[in-house]
Amino acid sequence: MFELATNCANPKQLRQTDFSAFDAVYLGDFSCLDYPNNFSAHPELLEAAVTQLKAQGKKVYLRLYATPGNEDLPQVREMIEASKRLPFDAIEVHNLGVLRILQQMGSTLPVHLGVFGNLYTDASARVLKDFGVTRVYPNPELSLTEIHYIREQTPIEIILPVHGKIPLVISETCFIIENSPETPKKVDCNGKSVCNFPCSQDYWLNRSNGQWVLKDTGRMTLSGKDLCMLEHIPELLSAGQQFFYIQSHGESPEYVETSGKLYREALLQAEAGLLNNDQSSGMAALRALSKEGLCNGYYFEGAGQTYIARG
Amino acid sequence: MTVSSLQARSKPCTSNLGISKHSADTPYRPMLLAPAGSLEMAKVVVDAGADALYMGPLGWSRRPFESEMTDADIREAIDYAQSRGCDARIVLNTFPSPLEMDAFTDKVKLFGSWGASGFIVTDVGAIRLIRELLPQTQIHVSIGSGITNAMDGDFYQQLGADLLILPYRWGEAEIDEVRDTSSIGLEVFLFETVQTGKICPGKCIMSSYLKYRDWQEVEGVRDSHGSANRGAKECYRVCQTHWGFGTDETADQQLKLRSDAQLMLDQLPAYIDRGVEFFKLSGRERPIEMIRDLVCFYRKVFDAIIDDGQTDMSIYHPEIEILRQRWSKAKSRRVGTLMARAKQYGEGNANSHTKPNSNANAAVIAHA
Repeated sequence: MFELATNCANPKQLRQTDFSAFDAVYLGDFSCLDYPNNFSAHPELLEAAVTQLKAQGKKVYLRLYATPGNEDLPQVREMIEASKRLPFDAIEVHNLGVLRILQQMGSTLPVHLGVFGNLYTDASARVLKDFGVTRVYPNPELSLTEIHYIREQTPIEIILPVHGKIPLVISETCFIIENSPETPKKVDCNGKSVCNFPCSQDYWLNRSNGQWVLKDTGRMTLSGKDLCMLEHIPELLSAGQQFFYIQSHGESPEYVETSGKLYREALLQAEAGLLNNDQSSGMAALRALSKEGLCNGYYFEGAGQTYIARG
Repeated sequence: MTVSSLQARSKPCTSNLGISKHSADTPYRPMLLAPAGSLEMAKVVVDAGADALYMGPLGWSRRPFESEMTDADIREAIDYAQSRGCDARIVLNTFPSPLEMDAFTDKVKLFGSWGASGFIVTDVGAIRLIRELLPQTQIHVSIGSGITNAMDGDFYQQLGADLLILPYRWGEAEIDEVRDTSSIGLEVFLFETVQTGKICPGKCIMSSYLKYRDWQEVEGVRDSHGSANRGAKECYRVCQTHWGFGTDETADQQLKLRSDAQLMLDQLPAYIDRGVEFFKLSGRERPIEMIRDLVCFYRKVFDAIIDDGQTDMSIYHPEIEILRQRWSKAKSRRVGTLMARAKQYGEGNANSHTKPNSNANAAVIAHA
């Protein structure tokens, strides 16, 4: 049996998107606490979301902010408190200091290490297991050979991203706001800056006549191309991988639904032993959803933006 | 000030682990930690008055090979430093491949046996491994660990690390908070605090997404593929070059992704007042004469603050301005070199690879 998971940032996305292709949902946007109604920053929004997804038979994981400064820790603690009262299946952290906070607060939830947790080695997986981590998201730079090795060497789950833009950079400040001098700065009644969400538009970084393209969401930079492993699903399953993930930060409902259905179908086919099904129509659909094309990330030991087809 | 005049400096009192400590018996003196990108630079910084130097073995320290050293040169540098009362720290701050942990372990044992008194490390598994292998050594948590809050210090102390290298964004307030949270030692880069831009050591894999190259022979052929975080693919400093930035509807602005950090001066007294244990000068890839002059300068400033209570840094402003200009020019040249190098590396390297674990399915590079 496999698990196919994706992410959902806020109630609006939960309302607008059909998550029926997925077995599990990571609730929240780990990159920016100011993102509108971000589940990672609003404990009052969690109960309804968890209830809805649980009623659909899904596992639900709570995402915590990936780069909390000292000033953010009270809010992180508030989220952890909220998670204790609700039927979450796990909590995702990226920051190792937050692992200590979870211990101090007596959280008993399984812990998933997120993409910015920098998991490169089986030695690190064993260390993190001692801090309550039960699942890790390998650093995207790892090859499949290395990921399979870690899975074999450690009693810890590996979640394997199979589709979506690759998280490349995360920062504590918003690059869009810093570079949008014309953006009016709003303040609330306490004089605190209020974000007016310029990230609701897609921002891109490009260089070298379009050879280098990255998507920027303010605090996070993603690959321009979409990781795509649809053609390689049979090998991933036969290597013993069980937990798969579609990274859909900032993507449309159509993107989430289409990719989810295609990967679910491919996983079911592979599980049934149909190893050489033609994926060309699915590939075409995924290519159409991507703005900058597809890549394999680092799985086959090249630059992250190359694509290696199943020959 | 001449280099020779600095050779007679009084050495700081140190603990058995090499850190200056606050106590009646061993009054606090911060350690000036200088770069050694070559054996020649190692000798120069020792002679110029560094309290400790750091150097990285080929392929293991997240720098291009020309800023790393052979094992033989490292051994000679350790001997040279130790005979002059200077500590030697080894940078092993790549994220090793899980397939090469035995080779990593061998490096730790080797440099430990030669007298290295500490290691600068990133991977949490590697930190535990070193602590188990060398209980008395000193472990610095590399800037590449990407810490963001005081609780990170608590985590790394639990793990067995001795020193936390602080993020470029942090200032005095964050130092106070980490002091309140744990008793881990602190190390800062000699850069003024930078607040904005994509300053993300340890949380960035842009270079390897864009360009690939495999290990070079000089770095030692390894079984695993390389990356910027593992020592093979350089970090091309793509954040420090210009990019077009905009939406589909707006014209691109031309921007660098991060602000340049300036060499530290005015913040020094406050940091020393807070007992920061190590002050680290960056620059293994910089010209040797520049590093020599910087070590001389900071030796002079540190000694004046500590021995004479000289906290008015304005007397050094003319001197630091010249050093900052030299630093910026050298940095621009360096970014140009790395970007030019990046252009030389084609995606075609990947053609030489067969798909790992592949059976009958051949790997084909496609333009998706």
